Amino acid sequence: MAIIPKRKRRPTFHRRKVCRFCVDSKLLIDHKDVNTLRNFITERGKIIPRRISGNCARHQRKITTAIKRARHLALMPYAASMIQG
Amino acid sequence: MHRYETIFVVNPDLSDDETQNVINKFAGIISATGGVQLKLDDWGRRRLAYKIDKFSQGYYVLVDFAGSPAGLMELERNLKIDDRIIRFLSVKTGINVNVEALQRELAAKAKPVEEVAAAPEGEGSEAEAASVPAAAAVPDQEPEKTPEE
Repeated sequence: MAIIPKRKRRPTFHRRKVCRFCVDSKLLIDHKDVNTLRNFITERGKIIPRRISGNCARHQRKITTAIKRARHLALMPYAASMIQG
Repeated sequence: MHRYETIFVVNPDLSDDETQNVINKFAGIISATGGVQLKLDDWGRRRLAYKIDKFSQGYYVLVDFAGSPAGLMELERNLKIDDRIIRFLSVKTGINVNVEALQRELAAKAKPVEEVAAAPEGEGSEAEAASVPAAAAVPDQEPEKTPEE
């Protein structure tokens, strides 16, 4: 069996993301603090995955519950519609 | 006694008097069930992120209080019944809190900094010593979700 050489991947550059809530313990996650939570949703109102936001599991979980609570209170959208109304 | 934080959204079409009545009614329920109100924060009218019952605005009120689980259930039961409330959410922010210590803490926070600095040194150190066990008695609990709507 001939070994088919795998196509060489171009080296990818990873920048290790650090959880901003672990770095600064003064930052608190609160469902009332909509301006902070807004950093973790897309334009359509979806929650940004940990893979992209760089949060640690623990803080991502807190962010998720906080966003869901804020959605319930209509502080944040469940889905941002293109046409307002 | 646990510490709870309830946010409720009042119908924005009510007059200021009526809104005040609603707030007083629920503040009354808290004290009637043996709860102690720690903070009442009136956010006023805000735009809702989506329409609720055809309303695009809501009058937000936040109440921070210490009370019993039964008291919270009674408050939520009334919030559900009242037509003027369009949404509410309660969150537990502390377990087995010392109410007096919390009140002292909040009072200290409200006091301007200069006053604390101006206090005689002997008294200052005593107050500091007193505040340490109080802080220890109120562990920073993970907020837990309590039943909602």
